[in-house]
Amino acid sequence: MKKTSKLLALLLIGALTLGALAGCGGNGDKSAAGNGEKSAAGDGFRTLDEIKESGVVNIGVFSDKSPFGYVDENGDYQGYDVYFANRIGEDLGVEVNFVSTEAASRIEYLQTGKVDIILANFTVTEERAEEVDFALPYMNVALGVVSPDDAVITSLDEIGPEDEVIVISGTTAETYLEKNNPEIKLQKYDAYAEAKTALENGNGAAWANDNTEVIAFAIENPGYTVGIPSLGSADTIAPAVTKGNTTLLDWLNDEIVALGEEEFFHADYEATLLDTYGADYEDTLVVEGGAA
Amino acid sequence: MRSLGLDVLWKGKNFLRLLGGLWVAVRISLISVAVSIALGLVLGVLVTGQSRVLKALFRVYLEIVRIMPQMVLLFVVYFGTTRVFGWDLSAELSAVIVFSFWGAAEMGDLVRGALISIPRIQYESAEALGLSAGQAYRYVILPQTVRRLIPLSINLITRMIKTTSLVMMIGMVEVLKVAQQIIEANRRTSPNAAFGLFAVVLLLYFAICWPISRLASYLEKRWA
Amino acid sequence: MDFEVMRAYLPLYRDALLLTLRVGWQGVLLAFFIGVVCAVILHLRLPVLRQAAAVYIEFFRNTPLLVQLFFLYFALPKVGLRVGAELCGVLGLGLLGGAYMAETIRSGLESVTPIQSESAQSLGMTRMQAFRYVILPQAVSRSVPGLVANVIFLLKETSVFSTISLMDLMFTAKDLIGMYAKTMECLTLLVVFYLIMLLPVSILGSFVERRLRHAEFGP
Repeated sequence: MKKTSKLLALLLIGALTLGALAGCGGNGDKSAAGNGEKSAAGDGFRTLDEIKESGVVNIGVFSDKSPFGYVDENGDYQGYDVYFANRIGEDLGVEVNFVSTEAASRIEYLQTGKVDIILANFTVTEERAEEVDFALPYMNVALGVVSPDDAVITSLDEIGPEDEVIVISGTTAETYLEKNNPEIKLQKYDAYAEAKTALENGNGAAWANDNTEVIAFAIENPGYTVGIPSLGSADTIAPAVTKGNTTLLDWLNDEIVALGEEEFFHADYEATLLDTYGADYEDTLVVEGGAA
Repeated sequence: MRSLGLDVLWKGKNFLRLLGGLWVAVRISLISVAVSIALGLVLGVLVTGQSRVLKALFRVYLEIVRIMPQMVLLFVVYFGTTRVFGWDLSAELSAVIVFSFWGAAEMGDLVRGALISIPRIQYESAEALGLSAGQAYRYVILPQTVRRLIPLSINLITRMIKTTSLVMMIGMVEVLKVAQQIIEANRRTSPNAAFGLFAVVLLLYFAICWPISRLASYLEKRWA
Repeated sequence: MDFEVMRAYLPLYRDALLLTLRVGWQGVLLAFFIGVVCAVILHLRLPVLRQAAAVYIEFFRNTPLLVQLFFLYFALPKVGLRVGAELCGVLGLGLLGGAYMAETIRSGLESVTPIQSESAQSLGMTRMQAFRYVILPQAVSRSVPGLVANVIFLLKETSVFSTISLMDLMFTAKDLIGMYAKTMECLTLLVVFYLIMLLPVSILGSFVERRLRHAEFGP
């Protein structure tokens, strides 16, 4: 009897787990095909008209990635992404409801329609484009590597087999090194503050991240040099919407092109990023009107 | 080492925000623990009964709770219910469901353990004294059970308060997330803020959890 | 569900499982050791040590592992004490778990009524014999469910290791989702690997529990 109930338990757990997860996946496919009887509610996203009607647009942003998306001392969302989000709300004529996201839940938020747009420093990649629809880009990303003055690393070849390179989980630096230099040992952290403290404590030979970040770090912390200022292919950052939400996607693309006329993203940079990066990076970073 | 970042605490509404975040963690935990205790008592009593089916089901439930990572449960309840049933549960309700699901299993198992640890002779004595089964539970068995449960349920409450930081995955901002936000917003001006803030967060957790533990051991002594 | 993708991720999850088990078991052993020492100190009411143990238990039970790890890993190097990430994980789990184990074992000891010790002594046993043959067996068998729950709790607590750069199962899953956006596949693998890690512990626990109850109450 005991054995039977144990076996039963095992089987049931397996069935439930698979059922729950497969159920989720299966339903996702169905919504992509579109079930006709119920318009948007069943598709897991809200169309442009539905957003306008409701008077609120839900935008997922980071709340701890200064200066792109963060919360200031008064509890208000600020940063390069947020500046753009506020403009989107203004031009749609609706309120913006900011939702604090983590790197690992960005896709899920869109696929379940819990947010309408993700503006969380979302780098465009092939893998992600299979899951969500990206609009035109509004920022460039390139990679950089910073290391201590007494052991500056100027090329990836100088990284020894015993050395570990610090990266932050979910960043383009991580993806790039995983793909192109799998032989390099990575030491992964899930927050900026921790990665930087680890570099200061000497836990890794170097820190690879967006070049803007590492350059800012070297400027602020004497004793560190950016040995590799630019690495790999150039990537871009763009807003993302639920797959198939064409009305919202088209509106966003038109919006980004229109904003290019007034140099909106240059103004955005000057309002939010100038303090951190200075004026030198304005033209390398900003993408205006969606043109790469 | 420059400042330890304690000045950052007093900038704007930062300290109030931290307290607000702490309240979110405490609120979710308390609601969940209350639900868990109620469900757990019922479950524990049911499971110590005769039904083998109930027992088997309870074991399955227990194993699921023990083994499933809470993050997966949060994803399944918050996002999964939207995908499968089209329900739009709020983040807080999802969190309470997940934490109660976890707590009720642990409580149920504790109640079960406490009930079967009470010697059979007590049931028999109660019966011999002319008490009905319900009365025996009410006056003899449950008071002893509840007393044994106290230290263990406190353990659960404090663990829950400390696990609530997971709710950041579904967009809720609790104390740890607020701390990270403050650290990041001030990274340039006070790079050591992490130490000061984590120290404060540590103290805040302690300030909440410790009195709860003290209350528990007080009750334990008084009722013993 | 893309099974090709899942197969590609398997080695990463396997590595994470091995790390979680390696660090987890060392931590659990340390925790058990600390727990027994503290519980005996508390039970026998040894002066000074008793107060020290109480302070230790209160502190570690009432603060989160995440923050404890943060201090071990990031703050100690600032005063010249470099501790490796894995050692930090073991220490953190051991110190946290020790506080929980101590409480579980202590409440097991406490649940054996004092009259039993007195009866044993009146039968001619010494105090140590009474403790060894009467109190301890009952206390251990009553603590087993709690101890198993603690072991599972500690193994699941490894999910905060991302703070100190240890690639445990949870961090691996979150990391892969962040990079490649295969949420369903990554979470399914996470559940499967937690199952592989925790189910044996859980089953072993209920087996031992049943055997011990058998010992306590007779056939």
